[in-house]
Amino acid sequence: MVLPAAPFAPQPTGLERLLAEVINPGLCVACGACLGLCPHLIFLDGQVAAPDPCGLTSGRCWDLCPVAQRGGPGAAQGPIGPVLGAWQGRATARDLEGRAQYGGVVSELLALALEQALVQEAVVTAAGPRGAPQGLRVSGRSGVLGAAGSIYAGGGALGELNRALAEDACHPLAVVGLPCQIQALGAMRAHPDYPQTLERIHLVIGLFCTMNLPWRGVRDLLARHGVQAPLSRADFPPPPAGIFQVWSGGAYHELPLDQVRAISYPGCAGCADLTSEGADLSVGACEGKPGWNTILARTHAGAGLLELAAGKGLLELEPAQPASLEHLNQAAIAKRKRAAAWSEERRHG
Amino acid sequence: MKALKYDPLDIVVTGVGGQGNVLASQVLGRALLDAGYQVTVGETYGLSQRGGSVMSQVRVSSGPVLGPMMPDHRATAIISLEPLEALRLVGTYGHPGVVVLTNDRPLRPQGVLAGEQAYPEPQELRATLEGLCAKLYWLPATAAALKLGNHILANVVLLGALCALDLLPIGAEQVEAALAAMFPEDKMAPNREALAKGLALVREV
Amino acid sequence: MADVSKLIPGQKVLLQGNEAIARGALEAGVALAAAYPGNPSSEILQTLADSAHSAGIYVEWSTNEKVALESAAAASYAGLRGMASMKQNGVNVAQDFICNLTISGTQGGIVLVTCDDPSGVSSTNEEDARFIARVACLPLLEPATPAECLSMMKLAFELSEQIGNLVVLRGLARLSHTRAGVVPGPLPESKRRPRWDPSQRWFTIPVVPRHQAMLDKLAKAGEIMGAAGVNYYDGPQRPELLVVASGSSRLYADEARRMLEAGERVGILHLGATWPLDQELILEHLARADKILFAEEVDPHLEGGVKSIYAQHVRELGIKDFFGQDTGHKPPVGELSPSRVAAALADILGLPWQEVDPAYQEKAQVAQALVAPRQVGFCPGCPHRASYWSMKQVLAADGREGIVSGDIGCYTLGVLPTGYQRVNAVHCMGSGPGIASGLGKLRDQGFGQPVISVVGDSTFFHAALPALVNARWNNSDYVLVVLDNSATAMTGFQPHPGTGATAMGQAGTVVDVEQVCAGLGLPYAVVDPYDLEATQEALYDALQIGGGLRVLIFRRLCALVQNKQGGHPWSISVDPELCRGEDCGCHRFCTRVFRCPGLVFDEATGKATVDEVVCVGCGVCAQICPAGAIKARPKEATA
Ligand SMILES: Cc1cc2nc3c(=O)[nH]c(=O)nc-3n(C[C@@H](O)[C@H](O)[C@H](O)COP(=O)(O)OP(=O)(O)OC[C@H]3O[C@@H](n4cnc5c(N)ncnc54)[C@H](O)[C@@H]3O)c2cc1C
Ligand code: SF4
Ligand code: SF4
Ligand code: SF4
Ligand code: SF4
Repeated sequence: MVLPAAPFAPQPTGLERLLAEVINPGLCVACGACLGLCPHLIFLDGQVAAPDPCGLTSGRCWDLCPVAQRGGPGAAQGPIGPVLGAWQGRATARDLEGRAQYGGVVSELLALALEQALVQEAVVTAAGPRGAPQGLRVSGRSGVLGAAGSIYAGGGALGELNRALAEDACHPLAVVGLPCQIQALGAMRAHPDYPQTLERIHLVIGLFCTMNLPWRGVRDLLARHGVQAPLSRADFPPPPAGIFQVWSGGAYHELPLDQVRAISYPGCAGCADLTSEGADLSVGACEGKPGWNTILARTHAGAGLLELAAGKGLLELEPAQPASLEHLNQAAIAKRKRAAAWSEERRHG
Repeated sequence: MKALKYDPLDIVVTGVGGQGNVLASQVLGRALLDAGYQVTVGETYGLSQRGGSVMSQVRVSSGPVLGPMMPDHRATAIISLEPLEALRLVGTYGHPGVVVLTNDRPLRPQGVLAGEQAYPEPQELRATLEGLCAKLYWLPATAAALKLGNHILANVVLLGALCALDLLPIGAEQVEAALAAMFPEDKMAPNREALAKGLALVREV
Repeated sequence: MADVSKLIPGQKVLLQGNEAIARGALEAGVALAAAYPGNPSSEILQTLADSAHSAGIYVEWSTNEKVALESAAAASYAGLRGMASMKQNGVNVAQDFICNLTISGTQGGIVLVTCDDPSGVSSTNEEDARFIARVACLPLLEPATPAECLSMMKLAFELSEQIGNLVVLRGLARLSHTRAGVVPGPLPESKRRPRWDPSQRWFTIPVVPRHQAMLDKLAKAGEIMGAAGVNYYDGPQRPELLVVASGSSRLYADEARRMLEAGERVGILHLGATWPLDQELILEHLARADKILFAEEVDPHLEGGVKSIYAQHVRELGIKDFFGQDTGHKPPVGELSPSRVAAALADILGLPWQEVDPAYQEKAQVAQALVAPRQVGFCPGCPHRASYWSMKQVLAADGREGIVSGDIGCYTLGVLPTGYQRVNAVHCMGSGPGIASGLGKLRDQGFGQPVISVVGDSTFFHAALPALVNARWNNSDYVLVVLDNSATAMTGFQPHPGTGATAMGQAGTVVDVEQVCAGLGLPYAVVDPYDLEATQEALYDALQIGGGLRVLIFRRLCALVQNKQGGHPWSISVDPELCRGEDCGCHRFCTRVFRCPGLVFDEATGKATVDEVVCVGCGVCAQICPAGAIKARPKEATA
């Protein structure tokens, strides 16, 4: 006899469901929000795993996971979220040259926040010993510089933030993250069992993002092209380049973009946020101006830090070009559409 | 040679691997053999010593040679170094006339430690055992042993307690002599104390 | 074990079956004894080793059972008496040699002792090793008591020398570990001088005539054993039921008969010599009764043999009813017991048989609901727990559905929750690396799962080496993890080649696992499994390399040995302020998942605690607590 399902039986909201709906179907984007909370979820060489069942039917791993929490009410703001000021700029410091992804704005702002003691530690993402990116806590300029640039692979950095928040400490923290990570930060701040996030996270810098790559997929793709991991640097040059550029041990290689797209996180396809709408400041590439960043100041804290940096001559800033902003809007709308289509598809099997 | 009150006299010694039940049965067997009885001591060995249930059987008769395994539900007494193990073996060897002597200190099985199974409340365990035997001696043997400096002495404490009952055809002195034949003299002092403590525990009941 | 050469002849002592076997061998003048440890046989050689110096004999733990028996054969060819003891599985290892030795024949007395393990209490199977007597046409003796263990060992050596072939003595786990009164006899006064007469050559060709000679020896053995008085009948002249029994089952049958007060109705034919079966004796006793029951453990060896004799003589004997495995009166699997035999007797004789008052039985049954099973597990502080923990974590993180090919030893428990059920297959000694070797050659056909083979340090030398050479030769892709705890712990800490110690306590030569790996050209590294992070890093990296066999040696002394050698360094406690208990953020990780029995969850406080009686202080659990609540402090500091 099959019993009819109890109409109001609450669905479990713990690890079991996270595994069933996010991790096992391959939708995890390695943001790290579920890591570092407890010993059940581990992260090694760029991948999240859960060796044992947790047994609880509700828990923060589910509540904080941005993939699990998708499909809530859509953003009320425009396609790029709240904006107090839109700029384009770059850092003036020499030590960022060749290290920063583009203009080095992110690194410069972090270094400044640390130097000014606005925060005492910053959670960033940098390549670990096996070449996979991983979360890292830094407390000064040299640490920030060590994490500058990106190889475009998921690093689970929020796990490091969770570990920092679990410590018996109260100093303020900064975080740099991708849109999925910024969404998870929102869930952390709103979570009734996680009060320390509100108290301790004083600065959130978000990055623009259309897709991210799983490290192990990158490594295998590199191997197929005869490129030796680890990578020192990577880049997606603007269209119509159609390539993924990688630097490994001083050598430069180009990989076809379609092959890179094919290995990107399937979970990225459902992400509706291009510009990290929940950050204090969001930073991306500046179209048509290589070596520069587009910067969106979203909160007063973010705008204040930007102003301070410009005032000190650390950043060269100019107002964002309307054409470039319009382009960003279009891209953001396209990303939302893609996400909506993905959600729709998933809902109907 | 004193006549056996029970013939055969069948004593089960049980506990968890590592608690020293093999030694206890060996001492008892030796003492009884030296007193002239026909003795068979059956022991469980091997894998079960790794945290599993272990049991030895001390079988004593005045006549025929007995096999290493006693028939079900015929034990004269069950001596257990762990209370749950006492109940486990009462299920196999118990009968309304059996005497049970058990240490009161639980050693929780793995599945219990892991939260997958339950360990009964001491009161419930005790009452259940009481309902399944003629007489239950629920003794703080580990606590007594710890006071003597080493938890492993609980087995000798229980041997002492057994000597206080009117089951064996031999007395504590003979058990002590068997112990002395197996231990160097410098290790005998705590063993003697443990025997005496066991005797006292039963007399207190 | 005790030095049994010091026992005083004529003075009754309590001896274990295995000790009595050892004493019997000494009384028979054994000069060389060899074995590979395996429960329930291990104490035989241990006892001989502890008696070797005073008895002036050579005793050896060999690398495996086949080598042990070959060494014993060497003694035989030098005119001395030799023996090899093993558990039932060991007979399989030695079988190829046995089946050739029986054709070539032997000189000095040589005895193979097999200790079978009905119910597989300490084994991976419950094989009946009596098969070897049939396969190799060898005389077989089955003692029932420690006293018979002693006397039959002496008979076995005599017999072997008289027929010029190997003799098998079969023990059983219960008998091996039974202590009973034994009266030792005298030890031999003189020793033989070893010499192999060069004109004597031992081989198996021409096969056919030698095969015939072997059969003739067996027939002769039958006669000698028949005259030795090891088979006898006990019961009324014309019993209603004849029980044909061997080994411990003889005692069970006797006890069952007493319990049922059926002494007038039941006779027992005690068979101490069970191969070849004494046809005349059996015919004589079959004629006594019309109902025959077989009482023996594991295979229906007597049942088949007696029935086939009956089939040849059915005209003289008339119609008989046989009871045994074929009729469900003897269990086809598991041990026999007096109660099981009593139930069979009662059924056949139509007697009422009630073990205990049904009301009591029911009450006791209901109470069993309170009794949680007590599954065996790794000891507190066992390095294998830490090793499997790391394997589990790494294979999960690796994410390619890694397979662990297991092997024989304490670490076989990796199949159970104590080893996180991380082991996917276990068979016999050395089969783990062999299976891994095959898996590692399926890469070209798309087998992408990483493979780990775990072997203990003793197993490594016993039977893993050929599989490793195979893997190296054929470039099979897997990781060999050697769980090196420097002891054959499962069977009682016997030394092995890797420790360099020998059975008799003299220093041998250390055969070093690293050097063997180096010699095979295998990349290897040594890690300490107690250091979880380093172990996991090393294992993960080893799994990623691919391309051939590579070795990780997880080296850490067996916790029980460490306990005896000064103990572990840490005093462990749980800080209840930090412990997260059942909250999200832990949920009893240490007790529910890690499962060292030293940790207990206190339901009353909702926090973990350390059971100070159980915890040995290895400090591993302190590394897995997410809250840093498990504190490890140096023991001296807290003492
Ligand atoms: C996966 C990924 C996809 C992106 N996609 C786009 C895009 O489509 N359009 C666009 O305009 N910009 C995109 N960006 C942002 C990229 O343009 C630059 O990171 C950004 O402009 C900052 O440049 P910068 O020179 O200030 O960075 P830097 O000063 O070099 O600082 C880079 C910072 O990025 C962090 N970081 C590196 N890798 C990761 C990661 N995997 N996860 C989280 N943080 C990381 C580091 O911690 C470092 O602090 C993407 C970035 C990443 C990591
Ligand atoms: S303890 Fe909490 S965060 Fe960890 S797996 Fe369980 S529910 Fe998730
Ligand atoms: S997306 Fe983030 S929170 Fe979700 S499972 Fe992956 S790492 Fe954990
Ligand atoms: S793992 Fe640590 S926090 Fe969790 S229950 Fe055990 S002691 Fe407490
Ligand atoms: S220290 Fe921890 S892991 Fe080691 S024995 Fe004690 S409780 Fe077990």
